[in-house]
Formats: sequence, C-alpha cells, structure tokens
Amino acid sequence: MKISFVIVSIFFLMMAARAEGPKNKGNIVYKYKKYESFDLGNLEVKGDIIAPGDLSVQERQRTKMERGLLERKDFDQEVRQDIKNLR
Amino acid sequence: MLLLVLDILSRSIMKNVIRFAIFILLMPSLGGASVNRAEKIYFSNKNISNRSEAVTYELMRSKYYFSASIFAKERLIEDKPLDERFEEALTTLILKTGTSTFMPLNEQILGKHKSQAMSFILGVKQFHKKRYKSAVKALNNVKRGHRFAPEKYMMTGSSLNFLGQYSEATKAYKNCMRTSEVSAASANHEKLKRYYDILAESCLIHMARMEYKRNDYKKAVQSYQDIPKTSYRWPSLLLEKAWGNYYLEDYNRTLGLLVTYKSPLLRSYFYPEAEVLTALTYFRLCLYDDSLKTIEQYHEVYKSRSDQLKSILVKYKRSHTFFLKMMMQPIEKLEKKNPFIRNLMTQTRKKIKFNLDLANYKKVSNEYKYLKTKKQTPFIKKLREAVGRSKDWQTRHLNHYIKKEMFDFLNDVHKYSYEMFNIKLEIMFKKRDLLYKNKNLISDRGRGSLENVKRTQKEHFYDFNGAFWADELGDYSFGLKSNCEEVKVKREGGV
Repeated sequence: MKISFVIVSIFFLMMAARAEGPKNKGNIVYKYKKYESFDLGNLEVKGDIIAPGDLSVQERQRTKMERGLLERKDFDQEVRQDIKNLR
Repeated sequence: MLLLVLDILSRSIMKNVIRFAIFILLMPSLGGASVNRAEKIYFSNKNISNRSEAVTYELMRSKYYFSASIFAKERLIEDKPLDERFEEALTTLILKTGTSTFMPLNEQILGKHKSQAMSFILGVKQFHKKRYKSAVKALNNVKRGHRFAPEKYMMTGSSLNFLGQYSEATKAYKNCMRTSEVSAASANHEKLKRYYDILAESCLIHMARMEYKRNDYKKAVQSYQDIPKTSYRWPSLLLEKAWGNYYLEDYNRTLGLLVTYKSPLLRSYFYPEAEVLTALTYFRLCLYDDSLKTIEQYHEVYKSRSDQLKSILVKYKRSHTFFLKMMMQPIEKLEKKNPFIRNLMTQTRKKIKFNLDLANYKKVSNEYKYLKTKKQTPFIKKLREAVGRSKDWQTRHLNHYIKKEMFDFLNDVHKYSYEMFNIKLEIMFKKRDLLYKNKNLISDRGRGSLENVKRTQKEHFYDFNGAFWADELGDYSFGLKSNCEEVKVKREGGV
C-alpha cells in the first residue's frame, strides 16, 4: 500500500514539473540571413566532362507507312462469270 | 420508176405478212395434233415400254420444248438405259431451253446414264459448286465431236486452271478454240456462228488471264492483242490489258489504253476500276497533281450519280419484274431516268448470258400462251402448271440478273472510292516526305516556268491527236516522262 502511494505521488510530481517547464523558457526567435551571394565562376567542380559540349539531336529513321494500294492478282472472277454466260 | 419500186416493195411486204399469218394460224393446230397424241400416250392403258420417252418425242414434234422437258426429266429418273435417239433429244432440249432446265436434277440422276448431254450438265453444276476435279471427270464423258465439245473444253480448261494444272489447261483451251472454229464454220445461222466465234475468243482470253495469273504479263498482253477489235469482248478487255502493261511498268501504254474509254464510241463502257488504275499509274509516274485530279473527277462524276442511281434502285429492290420491265423500255426513256441506267442497260444487253436467257424467256412465254388457249384437260393442266412455273422462274432469273448487274456497279463505285482514298493518302505522305527532306520532284509544276501552265487531265489526249479515230482505239500511248527524280529545293536569294 505504501509503495503504491509513493509511486502515485512521484507520478503526480513529475506531471506537475512537466506542465510548468516551457513557461520558464520564454519565446524562441529564429533569424535568417537577409542576403547571400555565390560566385559561380570561382566554384570549382572536380571530375570529367562526359556530355557533348554543343546541343545535338540524334537522327532516327522516319517510319514509312506502307499503304496497300490496289493490286490485280488475277481475273478468276471474270473466268467464272464467262462460264456462267454459257448457254 | 418510183411507182414500180413501191409496187415491188408492197408486194414483198404483203407476201411476208401472209406467210406470217399462215404460220400463226397453223402453228397451234399443227402443234395441237401432236399434243393430243402425247395426251393419248400419257393416259393410254396399253403397256407402253417408254411412255415418258414417247410423250417427250410427241411434244418436241410440235415444238413444245419446255413441256417436253418435264417428261424427259421423268424418263431420266427411270433406270432403263437411254438409246441414241433419246440422247439426241436431250441435246436438242438443252439447246432449246437452256442448261438451267436440267440443273435441278440431282447429281446421282445426272450421272446415272453416262449420257453425254447429262454429263455436260453435271460438269456445269460441279463447276458452279467449285468442285473442279468432279467437273473435269464429268466433262471427260463428252466426246470431241459432240455439240457441246467447245463448251466442254472451255470448262475443262478453266477447272484445270483453278486446280493449278496449267499445261493441261492450255491444251484444253487450245482444243476449245479449234472445236469452236470448226463449229462456227459449219453453223447454219449467223447468230450461232457468232456464238462459236465468241467461244473461241473467250478461250483465248482465258489463256491470257491464266498467263497473267502466273505473272507472265508479257505473254498475257501478247495474247490479249490477238483479240480482234471487231470482237464484242474487245472493249472490256482494254482494262485487263492495261493491268498487264501496268505490271510491265509501261505506264504510258496503260494510260493510253485507259483513255480509250473516253472515246464517244465506247461511251457505254465505264468501269470504276479503270479510273483507279489511271490514278494509280499517274502516282507511279510521280505525277501527283494528275493523280489527285483523277481522284477528284471520280468523286465528282461517280459519287453523285451513283447516289441518284441508288435512290432509284433501292425503291424496287424487292420487285421480281421491275428491272426486266425497265430493260424492255426504249433507250430514250431510260436516258431520262439516269445517265448510268442507260449505259448499264446497254452493257447488259450486249452480254451473251442475257441474250440467251431473254430468248428462253420469250420461248417459254409463247409456249405458256399456246397452252392457255387449249382446252383444259388434266394433261394440259399438268403442262400449264409446269410451264407456268418455268416462265415464272425465267422472269425472276432475268430480273435478278439485271438487278445484280446494277447493284454490282454500285458496290464497285463504293469499293473503288476507298481505293482512291488510299492513293490520296499515299500522295499526301509522299508530299510531306519531300517537304521534310527539303526536296522537290524534278518538274514540280508548282514552281519555275511551268507555274502558269494549267494542265487538266483531258488535255492529255488532245495533245496526242486532237480526236479519237475508230481504227486507232486501243493503240494510244502517252508520252509522259517519269517525274520521280528528287532535287534539292533552291531558296530565293541564293542561300
């Protein structure tokens, strides 16, 4: 019983201490630099140049659309028609 | 002098009128006697061995061929072998009534008696069913000296052609030509002689078509050239010859052949396919503007008129007599309806099949008329019903034939319209390609000194002779140079 009373008391004390904490610190103000400049000319990047120096587009073969134009392979239909024309 | 001539003329006219009247008066009575005899035989209680055969002969004697064919068919169903006389009668009946009379008989009956006439009918039937091996087998029973030998060889040749047996097909076609020439030489009538001449020409045309199919265009064109210009079939062959020249890459000859259809003499021959081939040939010569002009004209001429024609035809598409009645009308009346109708009718009238069917239709109508005048007995009733059915079938058959010709034309206009569209797309593609490549065709008419030259398609043949001459038809050739060479575009200012 005593032990449990002590634990509960400690718990309440900790809660009270935590609730009072931030009030004592006050408001934090963050400040940024108003102006900053970089001299890119002086920047030195170490490594090798892989990309080509000038602007280029790789040529590719244009797709040719082949349309099936009219073909006359035979006159079989006309031959059949001639036979129908017999007496 | 004038009075003398008039007198002679009136006498000869009167003579003919009297002869015709005697014929008309005597015909039913002469025929009536043998029809009565046929009736007696048909109902006789005596044991007549070949009753159907005897009735057939009696009816044939009075020239009731359609009636006789009813009993001939009954005889064919019997198992007893046929004699030579009946075989001859069957041949005559086919000649007088057409092959369609015996076509409804089944294959078993047709092949049962080993009759040459029936083997011929069986061959025709098998050919129409695309059973070419069976057709050849049946036709082999028809001997070389038979009346149907030229037709037999023509069908055998075509069957072998479809079976891919080309050397045998050539032999059959050559036999067809020989037998047709022999038959034409011995023909009594001008019409019969003409029929055999057409058969001989048809066999030569089939040989040319076979060579074309085998990609031997040079030989095919040579064979087409053997068809005389006086032939009925010559105008329609110009298109086939033009295709042969197209594949030989003789584009100028192709255009020359096709331009023949513009001649006033060939006004009634018009083929949408010929217009497509013209556009295609210009395209191959890289004359894109001419090709586009042909396409434009096609749509202008064919589209609107075929729409008009369609509106007339669709209205009567279910009629069984409309087209036949229309065919019987005078040409002036047809011309008022639609320019295409008149030309289509002229084309159909020139077809052998139509003329043969029309002759059969007239014969069956006359026979039906005679039977209607006779006293109605059970025998005459039987004949009248059967001949009536035949007449009805012939009417529908002829009407259907004309209707099919017209609707086929309409379908062709639409089918080839699609082909024209394809050519137009291809031209647009080629033009775009040239633009991307920064190139022009060598004599592009859009620039240079040709800029102001307006050249229409028709000017081509004015450039040649200025007019069509009947003896020159089919021998024209254009003189156009291929425009397919590409040149770099030169910019103004020398850049």
